[in-house]
Amino acid sequence: MPKYLCLQRGLPGGGKDGEKPSPAQMQAMYAKFNEWREKFQKHLTDIGGGLGASRLVTTQPAPDGPLVEVKELVGGYMVVTAANMDEAIEVARQCPGLVRPGSGVEVIEIHAP
Amino acid sequence: MSPPELGEHFFRHEYGRLVAMLSRRVGMRHLEMVEDAVQCALLAALETWTRSHPPENPSAWLFRVAHNHVVGELRQRARRDRLVKERGPGEPDPAANGPTAALAGDVRDDLLRMLFVCCDESIPVESQLVIALKTLCGFDVREIAERLFTTEANVYKRLGRARGRLRELPLEADDLSVEQLSSRLPAVQSILYLLFTEGYLSSHAEEAIRRELCDEAKRLTLVLAEHPVGGAPETFALLALMHLHAARMTARQDGSGGLLLLEEQDRALWDQREIQVGLEWLAKSARGDVFSRYHAEAGIAAEHCLAPSFGETRWDRIVECYTLLERLAPSALHTLNRAVAVAEWRGPAEGLAVLEGLEPPSWLAGSYLWAAVLADLHRRCGHDDVARRYRDAALGSAPSAAVRDVLKRRLQTRRDSGKHQASDAG
Repeated sequence: MPKYLCLQRGLPGGGKDGEKPSPAQMQAMYAKFNEWREKFQKHLTDIGGGLGASRLVTTQPAPDGPLVEVKELVGGYMVVTAANMDEAIEVARQCPGLVRPGSGVEVIEIHAP
Repeated sequence: MSPPELGEHFFRHEYGRLVAMLSRRVGMRHLEMVEDAVQCALLAALETWTRSHPPENPSAWLFRVAHNHVVGELRQRARRDRLVKERGPGEPDPAANGPTAALAGDVRDDLLRMLFVCCDESIPVESQLVIALKTLCGFDVREIAERLFTTEANVYKRLGRARGRLRELPLEADDLSVEQLSSRLPAVQSILYLLFTEGYLSSHAEEAIRRELCDEAKRLTLVLAEHPVGGAPETFALLALMHLHAARMTARQDGSGGLLLLEEQDRALWDQREIQVGLEWLAKSARGDVFSRYHAEAGIAAEHCLAPSFGETRWDRIVECYTLLERLAPSALHTLNRAVAVAEWRGPAEGLAVLEGLEPPSWLAGSYLWAAVLADLHRRCGHDDVARRYRDAALGSAPSAAVRDVLKRRLQTRRDSGKHQASDAG
């Protein structure tokens, strides 16, 4: 089955994350997330994570111009195995907290040899 | 190895536990910073544990992360301070108190200490309540506003006042002596009582939300009752009254959220286990020669719980408890309740006689309770015109549709059936 790379990314104008969740809301998110994980167990090939420090490796001196770091664009990633794009989109859509005001998920097909 | 199950209110209760533990270590003046650190730790847990699994000991994990946050922040501040004033003494290194040492301590000690510190007499009571809800129960500003029926701005204001006072307190205030603890015990009891009644008497439509506040009050009062500092008869009586009230909570509403009068309630729905626990605490509270307002109120609640039916209620004993309650905590509301009980015991005319000459304070005179009781008693005495006037006043000042419905039903059936029954006085 094809694999899909899911990138969480900010949307233009969406900037802020909104209010910080309260402990009670975190409890609810925790429960929802576990439900989601259970439901899509066989699709979640790599549950991924957030992105941290990075360094650019090149064969020549890095270009002078401004280079946007991937981290600035992408909040986190995961890899989903699904029969097709629609199914992969459904897995991402139902993930609690992933698709919210100000951020969306880009689902990208991975071409396997 | 399966990961440990997180309890129902794990995040909220961990919040309270961690804030209490860490603020004890670094001082109350860093309360806000501690709260931020705890928030970060909980968020980190949410992030990490959903991707893998919770660790063997989730509480220890959280403490470590929050502690590291606090230490990092304090170091950064110390560095900033040193740059400003060139090698001052700076903050003591909080890392000296390692997390392992911290975990060995009794968590309940920390929770209690926090509760006592929040009840500093220089903090207004309504601010004490809010800061306790925030720091000990882990509710955020929005949730507190929802539970106390007030605005977020008001909650912020009350929180700010409490925090401002806590920051100004001398450092020694963080460690209360045994004498200070005992002298502050009544304030702590009354804040727990307030927390409970906010839940119990709230007209919030959702029972879950009301019950949550009651559960928090019971939880903290139990910690107090089981500790040498708080294990006094008054505390036991307070805990008894909470259980005896909570036992009847579910029965107070019908299936669609409407309120039910005491005589309409299905007593089979009363929680017998809660009643049992309440009676046990009541028995414990009877030692010594103290008789507090909590004893009186628990006594009233116990009489209701023990009565097999509304008609078989020992109204004489309830009247006696209200009389004691009035003496211990004079309030026109208690007199009003006594009048209701007297009316059940000796008839409506006797009930009215209790209220004769009583000038209710304006908050009571304008409330639906006052008008409703007078409407009811006058109606039963056959004073139709006066009864109607009070009835209209009661309906006009009812705080919610649910209360208005119950008043209509109550004051209406009386006219039709002429049956003589009173609402719950207690």
